[in-house]
Amino acid sequence: MPASLAARPAALVLAALLAPVPARAAEAPIPPPPRARVTDTVSLLSPAVRQSLERRLEDHERRTGHQVLVWIGETTGDTPVEEFAVEAFERWKVGRAGRDDGLVLFVFTADRKAKIEVGYGLEDRVTDLLASRVIREVLAPRLQAGDADGAVTGAVGALLAAIDAGGGGPGPPSSAAPLPSRGAPTLGPAQKVLLGLAVLAFLVLLITNPSLAIWLLVSIASGGRSGGGGSGAGSGGWRGGGGRSGGGGATGSW
Amino acid sequence: MAKWGAIGCVGVLVVALVLGLWGAGQYNTLVRLDQEVQAQWAQVENVYQRRADLVPNLVETVKGAAAFEKDTFTAVAEARARVGQVTGGALQNAASDPQAFQRFQEAQAGLSSALSRLMVVVERYPELKANQSFLGLQSQLESTENRIAVERMRFNEKAQAFNTRRMSIPTVFFAGFFGSRFAEKPYFKAAEGAETAPTVQF
Repeated sequence: MPASLAARPAALVLAALLAPVPARAAEAPIPPPPRARVTDTVSLLSPAVRQSLERRLEDHERRTGHQVLVWIGETTGDTPVEEFAVEAFERWKVGRAGRDDGLVLFVFTADRKAKIEVGYGLEDRVTDLLASRVIREVLAPRLQAGDADGAVTGAVGALLAAIDAGGGGPGPPSSAAPLPSRGAPTLGPAQKVLLGLAVLAFLVLLITNPSLAIWLLVSIASGGRSGGGGSGAGSGGWRGGGGRSGGGGATGSW
Repeated sequence: MAKWGAIGCVGVLVVALVLGLWGAGQYNTLVRLDQEVQAQWAQVENVYQRRADLVPNLVETVKGAAAFEKDTFTAVAEARARVGQVTGGALQNAASDPQAFQRFQEAQAGLSSALSRLMVVVERYPELKANQSFLGLQSQLESTENRIAVERMRFNEKAQAFNTRRMSIPTVFFAGFFGSRFAEKPYFKAAEGAETAPTVQF
């Protein structure tokens, strides 16, 4: 049947048209999600400090569930640092899904700029005001003085303290618990009937037009593959948990 | 003869069933995308509200040091009032109603330019630069402008997802049945001269 032959390329073209525009990604080269909580691409920190920060953030995540990252790079290029931060946060999925309780401290040495990007769920604890004060009063002066270790350690300490101070609120019940894995959705009776009808319709299609039916099956199966997994809290590595941010936090330069 | 009739009936039934399922799928997809746009619109309103809430404090703080700049304060107050007018009930379906959307965007753009004039005025008063509460408010305004840029961009993405689906070939025939229920969504457009830097320059 020519219709089924035509359906395939047409669907592919449609899928390509509907896919997220890759042009913006090419404009702003957002690095892939980091494997560690502290990423220092320009060796700004001394190794000992980097390791102790890593342990501290890992411990904090295990204790409270909040994912806090430090990213030290050279430059964001032509991309404004705010845009870079939002896109990186979105791509890395910092924080837990649903809670959006991640935070990233970005430092760009060549641009002499810093950005604290706060997930939606931490905005009440790490307010814009607090974030800007951390940059203005802790990070910037110490970086200016050449004390990079002290700057980043101090800023992280102030941010963690702010997160912990507001911890009386919607704290997670068991801190080390990984993401609540999304179980199979429960179906109401109406949905079950519809599902049954869909299966019936699919069977009819399978008899009348097997190739289209199989193509449909494959495309549905590949479409459902996008769900995120739980966050691997153990073994030192880091994985994004599915959190989001909306440009909250602060930017500063030194 | 009766046998063929029965087969025909079953055939018609199956076709109706498949068409119905297809229609339900289309409808549900449009509803889902529409809801995503509405939710994102709420986010956009939130961040604009956040900015409007900052304005009185900001003006008060600047007034303390720059009492002579009456015109600027009046302009900000007026723009703020106009924003207040659009953020009432008129906005209930602004995400779908291009005219309400347009009014909203114009009022917010008015406040944006009044605020940026205020920040230019501030440059003339170095003592403000040493005022902690002013610095705090300034950074909050900066962050809020950044949030606005982010949420507007996400609104446009959601609106585009909806519009693309709504205007695509099989759906466009279907969506027409529902009149304005699935009207095309408007987009935020960058203000003139603000294509590259959405943040306020201080």
